[in-house]
Amino acid sequence: MNRLLLILLLSFTASAELVLEITQSAKQPIKIAVLQKDANTAIGEDIINVIRSDLQRTGEFTVLGSSELLSVPNNESEVIQRDWLLLDVDSIIFVEVVQEDLSLNIDYSIFDVSYKQVEERRKVLGIPDSIRQSSHYVSDGIYKHFYGIDGIASTKLMYVTKSSGIYRLIISDSDGFNEQVILKSNKSIISPAWSHDAENIAYVSFENNRAQVFVQNLASGKRDLVLSSRSSVSAPAWSPNNKYLALTSTMDGNSEIYLVEIKNKEITRLTSNLAIDTEPAWSVDGKNIIFTSDRAGSPQIYEMNVRTKLKRRLTVEGTYNARGSFLNKDEIIFVHRNEGDFKIAKLNLRSRDLEILTSTQNDESPCIAPNGNVIMYSTKDGNTSYLAGVNISSKVKFKLPALYGELKEPSWSPFLR
Amino acid sequence: MKKINILIFTLVFMFSCSTVPVEEVDSQQATTVDLTSDSDTSSEAASDAMSDVDIGEPYVKIYFDYDQDTLREDALSDLLKVSRLMKDNPKYTLLVEGHADERGTREYNLALSERRAKAVEDFLSASGVSSFNVEVVGYGEEKPVDNGSNESAWSQNRRAELFFIK
Repeated sequence: MNRLLLILLLSFTASAELVLEITQSAKQPIKIAVLQKDANTAIGEDIINVIRSDLQRTGEFTVLGSSELLSVPNNESEVIQRDWLLLDVDSIIFVEVVQEDLSLNIDYSIFDVSYKQVEERRKVLGIPDSIRQSSHYVSDGIYKHFYGIDGIASTKLMYVTKSSGIYRLIISDSDGFNEQVILKSNKSIISPAWSHDAENIAYVSFENNRAQVFVQNLASGKRDLVLSSRSSVSAPAWSPNNKYLALTSTMDGNSEIYLVEIKNKEITRLTSNLAIDTEPAWSVDGKNIIFTSDRAGSPQIYEMNVRTKLKRRLTVEGTYNARGSFLNKDEIIFVHRNEGDFKIAKLNLRSRDLEILTSTQNDESPCIAPNGNVIMYSTKDGNTSYLAGVNISSKVKFKLPALYGELKEPSWSPFLR
Repeated sequence: MKKINILIFTLVFMFSCSTVPVEEVDSQQATTVDLTSDSDTSSEAASDAMSDVDIGEPYVKIYFDYDQDTLREDALSDLLKVSRLMKDNPKYTLLVEGHADERGTREYNLALSERRAKAVEDFLSASGVSSFNVEVVGYGEEKPVDNGSNESAWSQNRRAELFFIK
């Protein structure tokens, strides 16, 4: 039992947290409390702290601290409703850690204060080494109960840091814990992209003094140069079935978009135009690719059918629209220049409504969480680059002030289930 | 290479009445690839000519306007000098590196910087220099000379650098 406790404690002393600052909360965050059920263990306390932190970070919950409570029930039957109604609390989450053989499981229930009843009970199976991840799954389950869409506490982030001239491609938990260096280089790394099964990544590396795309298997570290060329190859984008990479190359004289079948390296050319064509991104069903082209004189977002190669222009407002990606089948987000400032904007392809999502000014590299509802992007304040984000439905805005060096090129993992 | 464990963990139980559906456990370890160490961890592509040459300082820098890849008039005399030198020394190779300022997206800036380098190559080609002797590469916004976020810094970064490789 002591050895188990030691392993559990070690899993909590991982690495520095990515500090997240909510710069604009939701209009009506849901007020909750997260409490241990029946027993009061150190491991239980660590778990509920992860859950509290996850939910507070969404900007859509107000999580009461222990000192704010008027009474502390051990379980649902001990709840003194009046003490919670006074504090305007919507629900109490009871969390219980249960050890079964070699696994450490988390049972949780969501108790509605007004109706004085349990609305939902769930169980997350875990193993001792990954209690943080199990806690994140609990947080995501709680989020989904209240908001109807998947939470993203259990997802991973990939980003590039630069400090003292060294570039590192890093993967971490969504809260910054468990940082793993995937690639370390003296030269620039850009455009990292997760495969949809989270087993491989693609990225652009300048290690040979020009832009080249590599695919790297996360488990083995084995790297594969995707297109051997004296010309530049960049902007990799995985097809939904992970069989192809759409990418950009100047091998035919100027920036064009190509499809590369990863297994046999077969290349299909998709654009044939003296303009710059780059930044391909796939539609959810894999039938279309949106991309940036300046064929009309300035960068705009276009869409092409992968099979027919027929193209149409999507963006009409503004003199600079680039780096498009699909939020869902009807909406895209992209970098949009508005009166000289670069913002992240959203375009509904059906209604043609354009909405500017960010209030920062030098925005680039937006990435989308797998629930299709949160965007993270890179921005700059004076000389410091940092990551910021916005929740599309609740309008919550947050930022991750850089702890060391610069953080750029964020890329969100798919759901890891 | 250091092996670092990460467990990507994917087991969720759904509890309703008595049936309990189970999802698969997925565990993964990630490996670090360190290109800065001396051991040969980079791909075969590492052994090509462009990566190993120490090119020194550029012979000349050509500057560009915002969002533009067209050559300015002030670049003319420098480019004609370069053209002369290339024609007088057919064994020289010229390396043209294109760059962009930080504004806008990274990949579009990479493409823009390549077009700037290509604009220099096209001019030289039109003036009689063989394209076989000119190498072109773009670095986008990755190698600024000035890290500032103001017009002075940006105008310094929007450039093509020309190197003679003798």
